[in-house]
Amino acid sequence: MSLLPPVSRAGNIYDLGYRRYEGPRLGRAHAVRSLINHSFRTTYGLGRSGRAKAAPIIFGAMAILPAVIIVGGLTIAARFGFDRQLDDAELIGFNNYFSAVTAIVALFCAAQAPELFGRDQRHGVLALYFARALRRSDYALGRLAGFVVAVLVLLLTPMVILFLGRILLSTDIGGAFLANLPNVPPVLAQAIVIACLYGGLAMTLSAYAPRRAYATAGIIALFVLPGIVTGIIIGIGSSTIGTWLTLISPNTIIDGTNSLFFRRSLGEEYFFVSLPGWLFLVSAVVEIGVVVALILRRFARIVT
Amino acid sequence: MPEGTARYPDPVSLIATSGLTKRYPGAITALDGLTLDVEPGIIGLVGSNGAGKSTLLKILLGLLEPTSGSATIFNLDVATHGIAIRELVGYMPEHDCLPPDMTATDIVSHLALISGLPKAAARERTAEVLRHVGLYEERYRAIGGYSTGMKQRVKLAQALVHDPRLLLLDEPTNGLDPAGRDEMLELIRRTGTEFGIAVIVASHLLGEIERVCDHLVAIEGGKLLRSAPLVSFTERTGTLAVEVEEGRDALVERLTARGLRVAIDGSAILVDLVDEAPFDIVRDTVVDLDLALVRMEQRRHRLEDLFRDDPSVAPVAPLAAAVPAAAAIPPPLPPADR
Repeated sequence: MSLLPPVSRAGNIYDLGYRRYEGPRLGRAHAVRSLINHSFRTTYGLGRSGRAKAAPIIFGAMAILPAVIIVGGLTIAARFGFDRQLDDAELIGFNNYFSAVTAIVALFCAAQAPELFGRDQRHGVLALYFARALRRSDYALGRLAGFVVAVLVLLLTPMVILFLGRILLSTDIGGAFLANLPNVPPVLAQAIVIACLYGGLAMTLSAYAPRRAYATAGIIALFVLPGIVTGIIIGIGSSTIGTWLTLISPNTIIDGTNSLFFRRSLGEEYFFVSLPGWLFLVSAVVEIGVVVALILRRFARIVT
Repeated sequence: MPEGTARYPDPVSLIATSGLTKRYPGAITALDGLTLDVEPGIIGLVGSNGAGKSTLLKILLGLLEPTSGSATIFNLDVATHGIAIRELVGYMPEHDCLPPDMTATDIVSHLALISGLPKAAARERTAEVLRHVGLYEERYRAIGGYSTGMKQRVKLAQALVHDPRLLLLDEPTNGLDPAGRDEMLELIRRTGTEFGIAVIVASHLLGEIERVCDHLVAIEGGKLLRSAPLVSFTERTGTLAVEVEEGRDALVERLTARGLRVAIDGSAILVDLVDEAPFDIVRDTVVDLDLALVRMEQRRHRLEDLFRDDPSVAPVAPLAAAVPAAAAIPPPLPPADR
């Protein structure tokens, strides 16, 4: 052990002595806000080592890339005067952007959720949180909210690029703004559903599986397996079971809410589903509720 | 909380427990009807591994729920005032509790925020407490590269950062080398005396804890063995150690016949000192028997006596079986010094 100079000796000249803290104590709400902020920063590797920044930078770039390409394409097209045709082609736009980046969001969740609940459990940090003036539920919800906000930012950043790109490239900025404005509510609603559902599921698994490898594998399995199972069951020939499975599987739920919010019909791959769109929203809300309950239960019972 | 010259309302009970019992699944009883009342100061909580020290600290913090019984800190019930109590208490756990990829500054200031300090105050107090525990430039490095001694300092710093009135330290010298132990014990002593913060130090090392504490609580098997101020052990009359060249057995026989309580410890005869009388009786008896007296000295009660069932019986075996870990004590201070 490297021996440090004893406090009494090293501090003799400058040591002002121990000072009391007489200032305000801001209580639980402040603690929760601090946790949300810390969770967000930890998820993106802010204030952490370069290695911790790698995954969020890679996934963030992948999520933004399509938006950048579209805006770039529109810019080039505008020079040659056929941007209107390109835009009308609707290769990728507000209503199907999330579907295109769902896999990236899932990977982001699988990589980063274990950084929060998993890290706190593996290194015994929970004891330090629970020994402070907040409830266990404050801790659990603060961490969860911080991660959901982080996923929300991942989802909304490319949408902001897309939105600004479309408006600023237009010759009639005011008109373009008004034309694109109706896209905002469905985009926000869909982003919130995805962030809560994917973020919540990933955080639940990492709460119950402190080991990083298990949590990551579990999260990926959760996002991929139900889709495969549904496909197999449809292949076998039961569209009834298949229909119900689409109400459970997270990625089919968000396809369902996407079509609800953007008033589109479900894709061809859902030929066997004849359910009203709002049922997917109900299903998402129920699943998010279950996820929150499971996380609260985990941290209410855990022994530190 | 009323503020006067003293930091606590006076007189105040620091911690009080009543019939505190904790059973873990599998019929393991960690605490068994513990009833205790101690006043502010530096309190040593001693007992062997598994005696229930950590369990007691966790119940006081509200990290564990007792199976039965009750406990209070500063007269606040742990069952109903958990948050108010944890605002007043700083906790240093026994085990590793620091994320290796964060710096000392980052984790301590983050935990200060969680304790409710505003951002600027959290930053300022982090710098102060880290300096107090003796971490300087290294506080900007990731904790993963720290020595055990440095980690223990960070653990102490995070317990102090929100300016608690009571520190609960669980085995603070764990894993430290002798120099590191000395420094940690000095820090604890300063915290208790100069900073005016009450401290409860749990340890299985009696020899260490007695150097910093002014009150000792000994528990074993979840039960209270003894709770007493440290001074009471040095004030109390102890035993008289007598050594003679030969004829020890005859002397024992005579002394017992004169009504003294006598025990044998190696080559010495230990006579229980209830008053001054045994000095004269021993001298007269030795003269009567015509024995060669090698040594006759008064021994104070030793700390290990805490662990003996009956303090009135002279120590037969200096390290009673109640504290197996006491064997790990660095050489106990010679009796003459006590």
